[in-house]
Amino acid sequence: MILKLFRLGFNDRKGVFLALLIITLFFASGLPKLEVDTGVDSLIPADAPARVVYQRIAGEFGTDNRTIIYVRDSKLWTPDKLGKLEKLHEAMEKTTHVTRVDSLYNLHTIDGSEGKIDPKPVLREAPRTDEEALIAKQSALANPLYKGNFFSDDGNVTAMIVSVENIEDDQHFSRTMFDALEKLLSEYRGDFEYLVQVGPPRINAELKSSLYEDFVLLGPLSALVLVLSILFFMRSGLSAFIPLVTSALSIIWTFGMLGWTGIPINILSAMLPSLIIVIGSTEDTHLMAAFFRGLSCAEKEPRKEAIDYMASHIGLPLILTVLTTTLGFGSNMFSDIGLIQHFAIASTFAMLANGVITILAVPLLLSLFGSNEVKTASDNETTLNLPGKMIKTFRYSQDHFPGSILVATALLCLFFIYQASTLYVTNDPLSYFPSDRPLIQDTQRIHEDLAGIKIFFIALESNTKNVFQDPKNIAKLAEIQAFMKKQGVFDRSISIADHLSFVNREFRGDFAESSLPETRQLVAQYLMFFHRSDLDSYVSHDYSRANIVVRHNISDSHTLNSYIEELQDAVAHIAGPGIKAHIIGENLMVNHAAENLMVAQVKALLILLALIFIIMSAMFTSFKGGAIALVPAIIPIALMFGIMGLLDIPLNPGTAMVAVIAIGIAVDGTIHLLARYNELCRRTSDYKEAVNIAVQEEATPLIVSSLALSFGFGILLLSNFTVVAQFGALAAATMLFSIFANLLITPIIMSKVRLVGLYQILAMKIDKKILDCTPLFNNMTNYQRRKAILISELNEFGEGELLVEQDTLGRDMYLILSGQAEVIRRDDGEARTLATLNPGSVFGEIGYVREAERTADVRATTKISALRFDYEKMQKDLKYFPNIVAKLNFNISYILGERLADMVEHSKK
Amino acid sequence: MKKVARNLLFLIIAIASASHAEQAVELNGIEVMQETYNRHQQYPYVYEEQSIVMRDRNGKLDTRKAHRYSRVEKDGTAKFMLVFDYPLEIKGVAVLATRDSSGKMSKSIYLPAFAEQLIESKGENSYGNFLGTDFSVENIIGERLTEYQYFRRQDRNIDSVQYFVIDVFGPDDDMRSTAPLKRHFVRQDNFFIGQTDHYDNYGRLHKRQSHHDLKAVDGDMWRSGMILIEDMREQHQSLLKITRRKFSHDYVPAGMFTADWLYQNYPYVAPAEAIEENNNEEDENLSVENGEQLSRLGDGGEIQP
Repeated sequence: MILKLFRLGFNDRKGVFLALLIITLFFASGLPKLEVDTGVDSLIPADAPARVVYQRIAGEFGTDNRTIIYVRDSKLWTPDKLGKLEKLHEAMEKTTHVTRVDSLYNLHTIDGSEGKIDPKPVLREAPRTDEEALIAKQSALANPLYKGNFFSDDGNVTAMIVSVENIEDDQHFSRTMFDALEKLLSEYRGDFEYLVQVGPPRINAELKSSLYEDFVLLGPLSALVLVLSILFFMRSGLSAFIPLVTSALSIIWTFGMLGWTGIPINILSAMLPSLIIVIGSTEDTHLMAAFFRGLSCAEKEPRKEAIDYMASHIGLPLILTVLTTTLGFGSNMFSDIGLIQHFAIASTFAMLANGVITILAVPLLLSLFGSNEVKTASDNETTLNLPGKMIKTFRYSQDHFPGSILVATALLCLFFIYQASTLYVTNDPLSYFPSDRPLIQDTQRIHEDLAGIKIFFIALESNTKNVFQDPKNIAKLAEIQAFMKKQGVFDRSISIADHLSFVNREFRGDFAESSLPETRQLVAQYLMFFHRSDLDSYVSHDYSRANIVVRHNISDSHTLNSYIEELQDAVAHIAGPGIKAHIIGENLMVNHAAENLMVAQVKALLILLALIFIIMSAMFTSFKGGAIALVPAIIPIALMFGIMGLLDIPLNPGTAMVAVIAIGIAVDGTIHLLARYNELCRRTSDYKEAVNIAVQEEATPLIVSSLALSFGFGILLLSNFTVVAQFGALAAATMLFSIFANLLITPIIMSKVRLVGLYQILAMKIDKKILDCTPLFNNMTNYQRRKAILISELNEFGEGELLVEQDTLGRDMYLILSGQAEVIRRDDGEARTLATLNPGSVFGEIGYVREAERTADVRATTKISALRFDYEKMQKDLKYFPNIVAKLNFNISYILGERLADMVEHSKK
Repeated sequence: MKKVARNLLFLIIAIASASHAEQAVELNGIEVMQETYNRHQQYPYVYEEQSIVMRDRNGKLDTRKAHRYSRVEKDGTAKFMLVFDYPLEIKGVAVLATRDSSGKMSKSIYLPAFAEQLIESKGENSYGNFLGTDFSVENIIGERLTEYQYFRRQDRNIDSVQYFVIDVFGPDDDMRSTAPLKRHFVRQDNFFIGQTDHYDNYGRLHKRQSHHDLKAVDGDMWRSGMILIEDMREQHQSLLKITRRKFSHDYVPAGMFTADWLYQNYPYVAPAEAIEENNNEEDENLSVENGEQLSRLGDGGEIQP
């Protein structure tokens, strides 16, 4: 079936070409429908219960989706500068979709100096004199509610906080909003020393523009690197051309599918073209290597025979590797973070599509392009110094210190696993950008002068009205804030308690700073000094709900989550019965999702390892086979996690996927290696030699594809996104580790096992009658018989060829599958035919059980196909296949018993 | 006969209008304002029971009830006191203001839950809103004509009502080159100020005060039953409704505009004696009723400059 599938492109070129063309056109027509999503929403699990609470609380106390306009000027408090600021304030207020602008022009304060109370706006309008400006500065800086939130300690910085409508449906909204604010700011930028906006519109807009830049840069660069590395290693233009064609088709199919299904492109999708080009090319490289090997043994129709060779040798491993790679990407679908889930769907489809395209298009292209030039493995080896040298070094090490290598590897893995224990998780959108990016520097600058730009709410709710006019409950807010102060990680928090203690201070003097009014009446009477809109963010209209607004600058999700967890306990305890507490914010939900990231990562990793183990165990009809396949997958992953721990690289939506994707890819090399080794084992009893040959043959494509993958993943280091760059760097490193694991460790373990492929058992064509009639397979199931055959060696003999020679030592036993032979006894130059052997006959069994000279010749009278059972090999295999070998041994003793009985009977006659 | 009577009525109205128009043509800014004050500030002793409804930018309403006391002494000193009555938590909170004959304003606040102490309050201009409302004392007791310059602009006819348009300037302002502080829209039929627009230093409208539910209370003297004030920048509104009004010195004896009177009638509430209950139901009913009224006024009936 596999052969048929691969032959399709060769036998029915037009049909395959047309099919590929139609499908490609169909998907291409979906490309214009592509959508881009860089919103924060995709970082929050869709079913997060906090979403509903967040919507309600944000609806009541105002959204935490606010842009901060940072203004720095050493002459800020002059009529000229403040006049410009006022104009900017007004212009922003008039901007479409802006719901509110909070700045020094609508802040109110209370001045209790000189024994008088003066409730007043910080600035109602731009001052006309320096004196007015100075008074405004003094009253602004005297208000503890505003210091750090709106003004820096030295007064040279002020913030204008712009709240905008929450329009989720319009994918261009962030860009529009950012551009509108940026246009305004650009008009005033020359008037201030520093004027900049930081907030969700800018973050989203920058995410989107960076995404486009990545698309333009990474894909073509990956293609270039791929071509160059293949040209360098394979020295074949065709080998470079074919992966480009299959990759281009796969990219169109994948993005077309995204367009048709409405799955948006996100920042992780930026690396999809690179991944398709790089990962897709590995299979093409293996196919090309096999095709060239096939050409070297072809006789009449070189291309057809080479394609057949390629299909029969690489076909099944290729399907398996497509399956494991797809599983690697697919396992990310377990993540409930939309960003990862969407990427997982896209990449899984991409890998499958690439598999289908490769199977159909590569034979088609090979039948049309390139010469019949013979490129053998040895040719490649001579041209490829690096793989050759590597293999030589590895082989030397395997021969001389196999045990030491295994122990050293185990120790190395333990060391890296220990390092991995320091791993931490982050999901903060700002951490997606490199630290030298202006956005991050601006964020840092704001944090140096003011509280961080990240906001969350602590909302306390009661079913009773006016609960938060009660001093006892207001004191709870203050207690929570005091607890946060002790935690020492949050920059600033404001609640109605701060407002009241501020008024109290202004009424009573500085000694009352941090004290709260003692009665409900005094609370209500103090609150009369605020306009209701001053309190909107802090208390509900009926005083049944209160809100603490917290600002911070923590971008490490793990740190934030652990502090929030601690805070949650404290808040629940302080709030007491009857008051429900929620700690909520978009930023918190995003960071909380990081924990899901870790859980999903572990889940995906375990499921993938289990699936690979099951598949490989089934494929090689042995759990050992499954376990061996996991070794080269686990070693690079252990090293990768260790490196993350060592280099302080966090687990984020990008790096979280490396492990599963890398396992899916790294196991490809193992599959090719095991399949080849298994095939070679059928031809020789020298398993060590089989390992050497398998490694020699597979090393070039394995090293070439792993290096190409490393280079390809390395290209992602140029991404605008830290998460993508980190993904690229780690994936590249993992690919290099996988070379070490596949070529140094796997062969050592592989040489100690003997595997039989399930596909070989199922695909075997043997006359069932022969198996039924031969005594060697008595009382064995059909499956056992097939497996027994695969443990043996299949030999072909021409007419007249000697299978066994009299008076020679030999420990082989044969079972004739087809053809005829005769047993000839030579005595004193006279030859006597003792018997004729037909299919199903067994001979050589005495030499098999006891080293003795052969008593007769066995010569083929027709072309013969026979299974050879070598004693030494069978003894080795006893430990690998004890049931089968034991049954065979039993049957051999039965055959010998029968022979003895015949001889006794014959001698009686 | 009926027809003759109707024609006679038209004639009387036409003559009256013509005489008004003639008068209107002749008066300058200060004269219009003088006439306004002459007509409507006849009674020096006023007691009012008021409801103050405040609506924030989100449409949320807060209602308070208060008593307003004001009297003008013979020497021209104006005294004003607003004492809140509802909600219970703010009962006794008072604003006490005095404007002496020289025009100097002094304001104090009394919070019975704080201490038996009058706290002097700054904020002497129209920005000095009191106690979370959009009203300043000046908005309520009116301006002193001698402290401002008035300039009459082109009259306006709005909704069939003829208005004098009077711009108000500071005493030293150059009326040709500076922006006005306020603009009064004075009805020509009764010389009542229907609306006042307040401007900031840059001539931008920041507050609008409009009078509604006008009633002639005595001869030419009119009073409004509702005053709406809107903060244009911060988008909130306050509506002052007069539910009862008395012009009688018995209601506003001179001795009541003192700290002692307040301490006696609204004594300090020590923490231990503080009440725990509140007044939800009444609050809700008031909010619904007042909200509807405020919406009606806020959505129209104002003069657009």
